[in-house]
Amino acid sequence: MDLAFTPEEQKFREDIRAWVKDNLPADISHKVHNALRLSRDDMQRWGKILGKKGWLGHGWPTQFGGPGWNAVQKHLFEEECALAGAPRVVPFGPVMVAPVIMAFGNAEQQQRFLPGIASGEGWWSQGYSEPGSGSDLASLKTRAERRGDKYIVNGQKAWTTLGQYGEWIFCLVRTSSEGKPQTGISFLLIDMKSPGVTVRPVRLLDGECEVNEVFFDNVEVPAENLIGEENKGWTYAKHLLSHERTNIADVNRAKRELERLKRIAKTEGVWDDTRFRDEIAKLDVEVVALEMLVLRVLSAEKTGKNSLDIAGLLKIRGSEIQQRYSELMMLAAGPYSLPLIQEAMEAGWQGDAAAGALGGFPGGVVANAPLASTYFNMRKTTIYGGSNEVQRTIVSQVVLG
Amino acid sequence: MDFDFSDDQEQLRDAVRKWVDKGYDFERRRKTVAAGGFDRSAYNELAELGLAGLYISEDAGGMGMGPVEGMVVMEELGRGIVLEPLTQTLIAGGVLSGYAGDALKAQWLPKIASGEALVVLAYQERKARYKLDICEAKSTQSGAGWSLTATKNMVPAGDQADAFIVPATVDGKIALFLVERGAAGVATRGYGTQDGARAADLQLTNAPASLITTDGLVALEHAIDIGIAAACAEAVGVMDKTVAITAEYMNTRKQFGVAISSFQALRHRMADVKMQLELARSMSYYASLKLNAPADERRCAMARAKYQLGTSMRFVGQQAVQLHGGIGVTDEYIVSHYFRKLTQLEMTFGDTLHHLGEVSARMQDTAGVFA
Repeated sequence: MDLAFTPEEQKFREDIRAWVKDNLPADISHKVHNALRLSRDDMQRWGKILGKKGWLGHGWPTQFGGPGWNAVQKHLFEEECALAGAPRVVPFGPVMVAPVIMAFGNAEQQQRFLPGIASGEGWWSQGYSEPGSGSDLASLKTRAERRGDKYIVNGQKAWTTLGQYGEWIFCLVRTSSEGKPQTGISFLLIDMKSPGVTVRPVRLLDGECEVNEVFFDNVEVPAENLIGEENKGWTYAKHLLSHERTNIADVNRAKRELERLKRIAKTEGVWDDTRFRDEIAKLDVEVVALEMLVLRVLSAEKTGKNSLDIAGLLKIRGSEIQQRYSELMMLAAGPYSLPLIQEAMEAGWQGDAAAGALGGFPGGVVANAPLASTYFNMRKTTIYGGSNEVQRTIVSQVVLG
Repeated sequence: MDFDFSDDQEQLRDAVRKWVDKGYDFERRRKTVAAGGFDRSAYNELAELGLAGLYISEDAGGMGMGPVEGMVVMEELGRGIVLEPLTQTLIAGGVLSGYAGDALKAQWLPKIASGEALVVLAYQERKARYKLDICEAKSTQSGAGWSLTATKNMVPAGDQADAFIVPATVDGKIALFLVERGAAGVATRGYGTQDGARAADLQLTNAPASLITTDGLVALEHAIDIGIAAACAEAVGVMDKTVAITAEYMNTRKQFGVAISSFQALRHRMADVKMQLELARSMSYYASLKLNAPADERRCAMARAKYQLGTSMRFVGQQAVQLHGGIGVTDEYIVSHYFRKLTQLEMTFGDTLHHLGEVSARMQDTAGVFA
């Protein structure tokens, strides 16, 4: 038993750190460190920089052009990126659909889609949830009917994150209503420029359009875009969900944001208030405990042992912690988190310099502008990716059978 | 970074588990509780397994092992809610090995390792609560030796131990002494404790003492940290077994014609219990892996660990009773004994609120395990 990383792992970390320092654009990390608005270009610019290095698909095996890193190396890479203020990789292409294409797609599909995902050129979206199918995903109704060499798709997907930028969308669609709901689902890749696809951005409680509704009205999809076998899509989707278990805890970002919370608390004068600081101290311990939990899972994965009984806890705890730090940041700024000035969430906003004290952000600290917005945004984390209540049901099966 | 146990550590775990399962059943424990909460023959059996010498070097008759082995042993003893205070022996072995002079080491370490001598820490004073730097006990030099005047409370197995490690001030500075129970001026009053074990008040009136170290606060902090790591590991064992007992009960107990484990409200509570257990286990690992770190880093780590363990212990203990329903509040059924043990462990070596204060006071700008 040893807490320290091996010298090789340490060297790996230092190499990654040096590379990220040299290659992460300062304007992007500034936005990330201050929770300012990221544009499509910001996200894609970083994606392409990683893609050029061969690290956008950093979880990929070498046969598909990935670095072939083990679980610990992946963790160290993600940690160094997060701590340096890199945006999270938009996961839908490299993290979500690519492993399915690798495992279940044919050679032609692999050659057609994987290079564009690896380079960061293409933008993918996820078409799983529907208005009537959230936690009960298998009840989904979007239909794909086979007609000759095409599928005709009709229906609606919901909560499609960043779908307004999407060029391709991977969808779970119903191809059969026979038997159990799970057995009639197929995995289909759809070009979002196809006639009949409509994307409608949905404004969320933080004022931003992070998700979309995607409508399919008699959309023609070539049958060659079907991944694997018809009616086996549920199995493929489950395969996808079994990957990247530690990633979902997002502990690296939690460490970065806890440090930011401490800076905010000092600026706002609540660091010296014992009652407030004790709340930060609780979170300080919770983050250490989460990191230990993640390290235990990684250690088990490294030696090929089964860690399933604790991996299910990571999503619950990680999301609770994300909500808590965003809440404490907002509370630290107190009344100065409440002004809703959308422009102040753009990098470099100075307000009206000519107006003096009345021209800037109320209270004078523009870093407070996004705090409430982030707090509101983070409510999603206990809902998406299988709500925490669904996760608890899964965890209880481990304990109670 | 590796959280696997070595084969030797697994063998050690098996040996202790076997003793707990075969040699320390609930009936034996119940008899010990009824007889006052301490059984020297059970303690001697632990010593025969080599456990009393865990932190004592091999040339002094011990096993020369480290914190991870200590953790493995304490987890297993926790599983059986063993009453005999091996934590105290780990503290005594660690502190005497680390801070005492050669003569004192030669005199005591082999006897501690063999089980012949039980040496416990007597530090609790009325005005100190959980603070270590508040000490009214006084010591004066008398000829070649020292004499101590002190009142200490809640000394584990205090009227059964053979000697005490006692902090007392010399010219206002805390030093650490060893006092034999049989010496002149030593009086004890024993009593049972909430977890079924035994403690005593200790009164010293010009009692003869041997000096362990004049750097007493440093040594006392180290002693408490050995205790915290051991208590964390013990708590993990207690909770592990508590969860298993509760799960088994929920799968057997029927209401409305079905096992109560089928009810979602209870299943989700159990998921929360499992969460607290695993966070606790993670932080127990953390505590043991930081026990040999430099003092500042070690103290901060123990505070973090004990805060998490305390939080987890209270939740797991209370919920285990709640999930059992009425049977959970009886003395006859085993789960209440686990709950009482968890409650006592939470308040041993500093409770949850105390350690939150410690974390808060020591908090740095950085975050995470490696900060």
